[in-house]
Amino acid sequence: MTNGFVRRYIFSTDHKIIGIQYILTGLIMAIVGAWLAVLIRLQLGWPEHQWVFLSRLLPKGMPSGVMTPEFYLAVVTMHGTIMVFFFISYVLVSGFGNYLVPLQVGARDMAFPFLNMLSYWIALLSAVVMVLSFFVEGGAAAAGWTAYPPLSAVASAVPGSQMGQTLWILSMALFIASFTMSGLNIVATVFSTRAPGLSMMRLPLTVWSFFIASILGLLAFPPLTAGAVMLLFDRHFGTSFFLPSGLVVAGKLLPNTGGSPLLWQHLFWFLGHPEVYVLILPALGIAFDILPAFTRKPVFGYRISVWCLVAVGCLSMIVWGHHMFVSGMSPFTGEYFSLVTLTITVPMTIFGVNMLASLWGAKLELRTPMLFALSVIAMFGSGGFGGLFLGNATADMQLHDTYFVVGHFHMMIGGVTLLATFAAIYFWFPKMFGRTMNETLGRLHFWFTFGPFFVIFFMQHFLGLQGAPRRYYAFTAFDYLRDTRGQNLAISIAALLLVSGQLLFLVNFVWSLFGGLAAKANPWQATTLEWTTASPPPHGNFETQPVVERWAYEYGVQTTDGDFAVQTVPARNVPVTA
Amino acid sequence: MNMVMDSRSLAASQPGAVSLREDQLRLGLWMFLATVTMLFAAFVSAYIVRRSGTDWRQVQLPAMLWVNTLILAVSSVALEAASRSGFRLRWRQAELAMGAALAGGLGFLAGQFVAWREMMAAGIYLPTSPHASFFFVITGAHALHVVAALAVLTWGAVATRSGATDVPAWAARMELCRTFWHYLGAVWLVLFALVSLY
Repeated sequence: MTNGFVRRYIFSTDHKIIGIQYILTGLIMAIVGAWLAVLIRLQLGWPEHQWVFLSRLLPKGMPSGVMTPEFYLAVVTMHGTIMVFFFISYVLVSGFGNYLVPLQVGARDMAFPFLNMLSYWIALLSAVVMVLSFFVEGGAAAAGWTAYPPLSAVASAVPGSQMGQTLWILSMALFIASFTMSGLNIVATVFSTRAPGLSMMRLPLTVWSFFIASILGLLAFPPLTAGAVMLLFDRHFGTSFFLPSGLVVAGKLLPNTGGSPLLWQHLFWFLGHPEVYVLILPALGIAFDILPAFTRKPVFGYRISVWCLVAVGCLSMIVWGHHMFVSGMSPFTGEYFSLVTLTITVPMTIFGVNMLASLWGAKLELRTPMLFALSVIAMFGSGGFGGLFLGNATADMQLHDTYFVVGHFHMMIGGVTLLATFAAIYFWFPKMFGRTMNETLGRLHFWFTFGPFFVIFFMQHFLGLQGAPRRYYAFTAFDYLRDTRGQNLAISIAALLLVSGQLLFLVNFVWSLFGGLAAKANPWQATTLEWTTASPPPHGNFETQPVVERWAYEYGVQTTDGDFAVQTVPARNVPVTA
Repeated sequence: MNMVMDSRSLAASQPGAVSLREDQLRLGLWMFLATVTMLFAAFVSAYIVRRSGTDWRQVQLPAMLWVNTLILAVSSVALEAASRSGFRLRWRQAELAMGAALAGGLGFLAGQFVAWREMMAAGIYLPTSPHASFFFVITGAHALHVVAALAVLTWGAVATRSGATDVPAWAARMELCRTFWHYLGAVWLVLFALVSLY
């Protein structure tokens, strides 16, 4: 009995269980990341205030209730690392990728189920190592989520540069290994296990987005493994890959010579930039697919949207230098990186306009998943606008490392992905657990998420325009930033509102898991293959092998089921439009 | 009686589940090799960038590396021979050749170890010069991949011992072994050329 439970729910090779394991792990990591965000905002909103209860909780980081600067750096570093790699990557890409891809291509499971299980357990190990690094001598890594040397390469640089940084590197290496396995699985599944009749151009855009994101991950992540190995060797074995000559740290001249800190930046951003597309493409794909279920009409421009994703994927591999405009890069190289970066706005804008056009003339049903999907478009449009400034080397010189950047990337890889994650959870929860989430709580949660989130990061753009630098522990020492006290206070209040709003989600999630209304097989009357099987789907997913007859967006037609045709409805019953 | 077959006709004779599995494994391997390519591409480009540093000093590489290269090449040839013998259903020859291929792989690893020891005996360690740092890190990363490939070769060797009973499955395994092994041989040639010529 126990053995059966362990095989089925713990060491499972079923993609649905693994997907849910990833989602739950990611949500727990999100709580850690959100807690760190609260600490950051308490410091920036109320600098020098003594939080007595926190001094008991964090005696080292906040003795007497005021955060130490060293602890602040560790908190910022870990907030970024956890949110990017252990929340969004796990929940949205690995979690929903695992859960949805086999179901939506009509397969019984992933191409390599055992590898899939291995990937999850390595991912969990990686998350555990990352969290444990808080408790080692010197505390967690403090060199920023980008881990630039020499801060990350010299153990005596800051307290977090000791064991915490080593664990950070090891955890990232495990993450990359796990993500590579998972990506390999998704690509192989899409290539080799599609149901009969399901051509690539009939795949839901969600699957396309996971497919492209996985290819990006496979090609862009290994170079950071190389970088991580070299960084470890610099830290522990006396090499000078990244450490320059004449470096004095803590009053001592280091023996290293000739290394190049910029080399690390190139290797990091060669991963780092595609990584943001690994996160944002699935977010866009999911939002694109959720829209038609609530507009009850076909999406606009499916094929061109697919090619936009492909184009964005290709371009994302060759633009990494736009993170390094101020690194002393040749102006000609900067010109190149500006041009290709701004080129990305073309397919991205087409994609955004297609989403807007999909709404045109429709009667919108504003259910919770739809609210979140719509807010993805809003956040994507607003956040993307800031990218126009940052992608341009001339403007970026001014804005680099200010809160303008913080506001921009939080809207894009924070907001777009967070809102899409919630859209996905509300939309597929009935399929995953056979129960429906509470609609009232869901809508309330939406407003408490979208509202504060938008306010926080919209305002941060203006902090950046005033010259407020990111990663600074406090702004109290600068005359020119004295006027930003009020803005920082407002941002902090909004942040606390945002975090408390998430309690609504947690309550709804847990309560619905056990007490939600029973869900039908196809509660949203949607068209893709996962809705043709039971909720939750049985082991093996489908009773019989589905045969696909049409594209994924056959809405606004007359059938016995209603105004839609699932992908398996034969052409003789309902004419095929694509 | 003509017993010569090739993997294509063998795969065609076995429709359905086995050939799907073959396709998936082949696809999986090629994608894995794509990631490995990116890993070594990163090392190579880092090498090229770092080489422009003023402190770059070329260290003397041991002659043993030429021997290792030869061993690896012979091992690749032996693997090809094993595959050809199997397709002609000469299993005894195939087994011997697989043994030779495996021994070659182990010999290469041992030879690399000897080369590292020789360098250290000559006073060349990781931090001695950026060239030495890169040499140890890159050859180490390559050796780790060789260890993984040896596991796959062992899997192919096991199939060769029982190959007479399930030829299509054997052929599929051998194709994966050959792809992986020859790929790592080619990577070695590139890396060896890099560290000794540039």
